[in-house]
Amino acid sequence: MPEPAIEIRNVAKRYDAHVAVRDLSLVIPRGSVYGLLGPNGAGKTTTIRMILDIIAPDSGTISVLGSMHRDRTIQDRVGYLPEERGLYKKMQVRRVLKFLGELKGLSGREADSRITIWLERLGLRTPEKDWGLAKVDELSRGMQQKVQFIGALLHDPDLVILDEPFSGLDPVNAQALKDTVVDLKRRGKTVIFSTHIMENAERLCDSVCIIAKGEKVLDGAVSEVRAAHGERTIALALDGDVSPAVKAILADESLVSEADDSNRFYELVLAPGADANVLLRRLVEAGAPIQRFERVQPSLHSIFLEKVGATGVEAGMSGHG
Amino acid sequence: MARLWAVIKREYLERVRTKWFIFSTLFTPILFGALTLLPIWLASKSMDSENIAHIQILDASGSGLGKRINLALGGGVMSNDTSSTQIILLDTAQLAAAELAATDAVVKKETRGYLVLGPNILDATETRYAGRNASSLPDIGRIEAAVRQGILATRLERAGMDAERVTSLVNTRRIELEAEQIGDRGREGKGGIVKYIFAFSLAFLLYMSIFIYGQNVLRGVLEEKQTRVAEVVVSSVSTDTLLAGKVLGVGAVGITQQILWVVGSLLIMKIREPVMNALHLTSTSLSLPSIAPSVLALLLLFFVLGFMLYSALFAAIGAMVNSDQEAQQAQQPVTLLLVSTAILIQPVLLNPGTKLATIASIFPFSAPILMPLRLSLVSVPWTQVAASLASMVVAIAAAIWLASRIYRTGLLMYGKRPSLRELSRWLRRS
Repeated sequence: MPEPAIEIRNVAKRYDAHVAVRDLSLVIPRGSVYGLLGPNGAGKTTTIRMILDIIAPDSGTISVLGSMHRDRTIQDRVGYLPEERGLYKKMQVRRVLKFLGELKGLSGREADSRITIWLERLGLRTPEKDWGLAKVDELSRGMQQKVQFIGALLHDPDLVILDEPFSGLDPVNAQALKDTVVDLKRRGKTVIFSTHIMENAERLCDSVCIIAKGEKVLDGAVSEVRAAHGERTIALALDGDVSPAVKAILADESLVSEADDSNRFYELVLAPGADANVLLRRLVEAGAPIQRFERVQPSLHSIFLEKVGATGVEAGMSGHG
Repeated sequence: MARLWAVIKREYLERVRTKWFIFSTLFTPILFGALTLLPIWLASKSMDSENIAHIQILDASGSGLGKRINLALGGGVMSNDTSSTQIILLDTAQLAAAELAATDAVVKKETRGYLVLGPNILDATETRYAGRNASSLPDIGRIEAAVRQGILATRLERAGMDAERVTSLVNTRRIELEAEQIGDRGREGKGGIVKYIFAFSLAFLLYMSIFIYGQNVLRGVLEEKQTRVAEVVVSSVSTDTLLAGKVLGVGAVGITQQILWVVGSLLIMKIREPVMNALHLTSTSLSLPSIAPSVLALLLLFFVLGFMLYSALFAAIGAMVNSDQEAQQAQQPVTLLLVSTAILIQPVLLNPGTKLATIASIFPFSAPILMPLRLSLVSVPWTQVAASLASMVVAIAAAIWLASRIYRTGLLMYGKRPSLRELSRWLRRS
């Protein structure tokens, strides 16, 4: 097995008032797209900051790309897009990017030519308008996010860490971001991103880790995670109005232990000992307009809800994610 | 090292490119030049040579005093034409009517004013002048001097001296009194007003530069915090490198500006003579006290050390706060140190040798401003200069230790401003 991109062993970090990360161990395989999932305040951003050596763990060890993370040179091979985005407002876009590149050890000339390529690739430099020559605060929010994204990738890092990359992106830019992530993977890079949007994680990630309250809840390849929870999940789609009788069946705790209700689409978890056939028969008898009734692997979303639940979300803890 | 250089380069270039920097760098020498030219030009405009000479002398003394005074007035400051002054000889009875007429003439702007010489003027201790320039101290001073000289001459003549000799003896030129400082090591060269002005300007310039550039560091830190760009930057460089780069970059901007100011001012001093000639102005040549290169290097050293001390503190404040308003409040203790130093400038300027001046010029927070002030006024024992430098170096080490710890923790802390207790925890933890 090749050396992992990141290996976190028994890491803990506490702030004055609370524990941000509690004895976390993770192995992130090289060349994979890895999702760090968890509710706000779970310790995602703290974990990422420790990987990047922005803050030091109280205990435990972290190795990045085979070196201890405190080794500064290893950070040159890491690209980072923080959750809290911002750039020097009064600075010219090209100069900001060049500065960020130089901080990662790029020469000025090398940075210049790469900036031109990236600006063109993301549509910030067209024959009509070169936004690279504008000041940062003349750009729209979406364009500023693109600039920051370029800043994270300019030095062609082997490991890319994106903290909540989809927040604030419109569908077009979100798609561009997904394309870039896929492209990075194709080129053998490792991509880690944190998110609380499970749909994105499910589609993009090879492996995930769910953390809550600073602790790992589960981790592994997405397919394995889903298969491990796939015995008792049923996807149910109904056409038209749902009658009170049908609702009563879905609320019957001897049959259904959990029901994720999306109005006309349900993800159901069978109660222990319950039979799927019994459930189907009763639904038909009640006259439910069934479009789909299928035994499925659960979505990450429902696994997340099952494992973390509403209690996993600490109120008012956002910002230290 | 390459990273530190990248940070320094950004801090330096982004500041030097701003309109504010270009404006203040160009404007200050021009202002300085204007300040040396304007008073002379204004004076020449408002005190046109006829101002004090274009008057009437109502002479009821019966002794030819009016003529003597006119001679002493000499037609004004920059003229030798005595014909602009009208001398009206009259007796006591005519005086009241003549004053009325003379007042009328001033009102109609035919003359600037009139001087009354009563019959007992040679023995009296006071006399009168009325005119449009009665509130101009230099004008009245000149007229007073002319009257005194005229009376003296007339008295001498009365006492039997030859009129010609009296004229040549009384008519002395102005005397310049050159003052020279004597200190513990003997004579120390020219003292006087130019030296004071130079010393004061120097102290004030140091105060302003340390203040402005120290605050610049604070705003730079705050900007990185507010825009959240700090997080990207510290994922590439350590906070210590970032802090050092910021202080060095901003400091380099300050030194650049001061060098440009000095060069610009010297250039303006050079073109001062031609400009004055073109404006038909004459004045005594203005000579700056000559400064040895070693002293200049010492002054620069004091600026650098003072700037480092204060900018480290300002950087720590910047890392502690989240908004401009909070920064205003939180920087007060540091600002207070600077302002109380500024308050000490005047007492030290007037008495650079007192115990207070000695202590204040060694105390690290006032040393960068008050020691250069004393150095440019008197000779300071080298032990005191060394003590001053040493105390600053110690204070800088402490300030950087403090600032780097606060900076490290505070830079990524958003939300409430830390209390003193939290601050002390930050210091212990890192």
